[in-house]
Amino acid sequence: MKSIHSPERTSSRCTDGDLHGPRNPFEEFQTFAFQKREIPLDQIVQSAEQVMDQIRLGYEKLLEEEAKELVWMVQYNTIIKAYEVAERYIKEIDYTAEDIEDFCFALENTQKIPYLIPGPAGIYISALCNYAKEGEIVLKLSELKTEINLIGFRLPKEKRLTVEGDTGDFTGISLEGGELVVEGNAKNWTGAGMRSGKIWVKKNIGLHTGEWMMGGEIYVGGRVRGLGNIVEGKVFERDKLVYPGKVRYPNQYY
Amino acid sequence: MDLLNIGRVSYVKENGYQTRIMAIYQFINHHLYFNRPDIEIKGEPFNSTILFSLLTGLMKGKELIIGEPGLGKTTSAEFIGSLIYQLPLGMIWGSEVSGHPEQTEEKIIGRPDLGKLNRGQEDVVWTHFSQIPVKIVDEINRLPETKQSMILDGVDRGNWEYLNEMIINEEYCLFATANYQDGGTNTIIAPLVDRFDVVVESRYPGPNLSFLIGKSRRKDQILRNPKHEKDLYRVLTSKIAYEKKIPQMEEICNAFGDYLHKTIGIKPLRKEDREQIRSEVETLDLDLDASAFTRMLLSELSFCDRYGQKRIIENCEEGCHFSGYLCHEIKNCASNRLPTSIKLYAQGLAWLLGDSEIDMEHVKAVMPYNLSHRIQWKDEILSQKERAKRDDPFQIYLAKEAVKTLSHRYQEQSEHLKDALAVGSKIFQGEPLEFLEGDHPLYTEIRKDIPPIK
Repeated sequence: MKSIHSPERTSSRCTDGDLHGPRNPFEEFQTFAFQKREIPLDQIVQSAEQVMDQIRLGYEKLLEEEAKELVWMVQYNTIIKAYEVAERYIKEIDYTAEDIEDFCFALENTQKIPYLIPGPAGIYISALCNYAKEGEIVLKLSELKTEINLIGFRLPKEKRLTVEGDTGDFTGISLEGGELVVEGNAKNWTGAGMRSGKIWVKKNIGLHTGEWMMGGEIYVGGRVRGLGNIVEGKVFERDKLVYPGKVRYPNQYY
Repeated sequence: MDLLNIGRVSYVKENGYQTRIMAIYQFINHHLYFNRPDIEIKGEPFNSTILFSLLTGLMKGKELIIGEPGLGKTTSAEFIGSLIYQLPLGMIWGSEVSGHPEQTEEKIIGRPDLGKLNRGQEDVVWTHFSQIPVKIVDEINRLPETKQSMILDGVDRGNWEYLNEMIINEEYCLFATANYQDGGTNTIIAPLVDRFDVVVESRYPGPNLSFLIGKSRRKDQILRNPKHEKDLYRVLTSKIAYEKKIPQMEEICNAFGDYLHKTIGIKPLRKEDREQIRSEVETLDLDLDASAFTRMLLSELSFCDRYGQKRIIENCEEGCHFSGYLCHEIKNCASNRLPTSIKLYAQGLAWLLGDSEIDMEHVKAVMPYNLSHRIQWKDEILSQKERAKRDDPFQIYLAKEAVKTLSHRYQEQSEHLKDALAVGSKIFQGEPLEFLEGDHPLYTEIRKDIPPIK
């Protein structure tokens, strides 16, 4: 409650010794030199809120520019363009890996972020990860009801991104040397167009895995539902090399 | 001389009353009540039983002394009462009330004057207990619960009523002793418990001091004087009005005080000395930290976000935001007597140590003893902590732990809390400020104390 009290009521209050009004229960503190201080927790919360506001603003701008009708088609040029827009805003923000996680949580859990569109959200989170100061980032997405697409897009060399939970389509596409670990399942088109780096998916992976992949390695702890047209690179299923290997035909169930 | 070796308490005023009180402390400790120090205040070791009993005598307080049988609960109170009020020990013995199931109002407070009653007149013969300033109730928890209420008013206000008559003790202190629960004890009723300012334990002094106690006989005789005892007895049983007895009693007490000064070198306190001490003590106030800390404690012992205040009949709400505070660990609400007791004893302690203000150390030292008997902990807290390693009785240990935890909390938040109280004061005076926000219950309580604008 932030109530402002009017000065007019001064007359009705008394200090020590006055028997005509209520006694000030705090009178010994009357002379205490009050300074508006902030306790450390307040400062942390305030600064975290400021950063979150900036991150949220960037996401809203991205939606405004790239998903005007709240429809976003995954095409090569739309992804590139969205990523460029995201980069533009993110470069201005001083944030930490924890802020990225907070943003992921806020995507579904606050009224402040009106729309969660899995494509742009994934592009934006990927850009946040790629420009983060930390080399190692953990995103706890297991609580999210929506699976985010495009996580790990263009993850650069010397970055390691761990996702706790499942990811959507296009996970780790255009990977640029980073290491992407998905603790749950990944959907279709994982690792599409990746150039180098490694993707670990602890559980199962969908169709078109490694489509137009140019290099790097994909390790799958569970089942690979189908491989894409792979140009170069390796795919392992439960430690067994499945590409290059016997299965040459894309998207065949084997 | 050894008994006047008070060098450890070097900061008390030269030739002040503090020196005399500390001399009494040392005399009791070295000659009458052998025990080890069990608390440290500002680097000085003290025995809590002697210290708090001295403060009880000086400040007109009410003390409950608990402990195992034969560990000096009653004798410590008798010695201190004798030296602070210049009363011969025999007089104190003769006025003690002992708790037992057959105790009656006539033995505690007064009885009809049978001679006058035969002549058709109604008059009261007051007991010595109701008349003398040092009141000792031995084994109070052997009084049945129904009979404990007989002494409630007398204990609280010093007014003793019988038939249609009443006497009021202007100056009195109360010591009650209680054994731990056994077959013959009863529970002390909550209203009576709350009337005690402090609870201390008279502890086992250790085998070596205990051995010494066995060797030193006749220590009771030091504080006895049959002549003065008879004189006092004569005054107390005389038929004159109680108000007229007081100056006569005082005269005899002064004579006994002079006798003690000559024989043991200790100068007990005359009435004017006690009054002077009390007037000096009353000038001491809590500094801002001590005040804010005490308010913090009171708020934690009374706050309930859900039901407005703690009530013994209501349980905490599941998932309450304030579960980290003391309010979540206790069942009952702090009484208004608690801050009075804290201030009384902290004032006395600060005065005794020669300090000009009551600070955090003083309140932290007295609080556990003011609190321990007044808090009713939840069963889960009791079962969590009952096996913890400790030196104190369980209730005092729990209170000490609570004060320690609270002190840590206060250190973290002190500046912001004081700011919030200062802002509260300014808002109360009408300044257009905003309340300071904070998580502690005290912030909510500050808002509640600002009446709404009409």
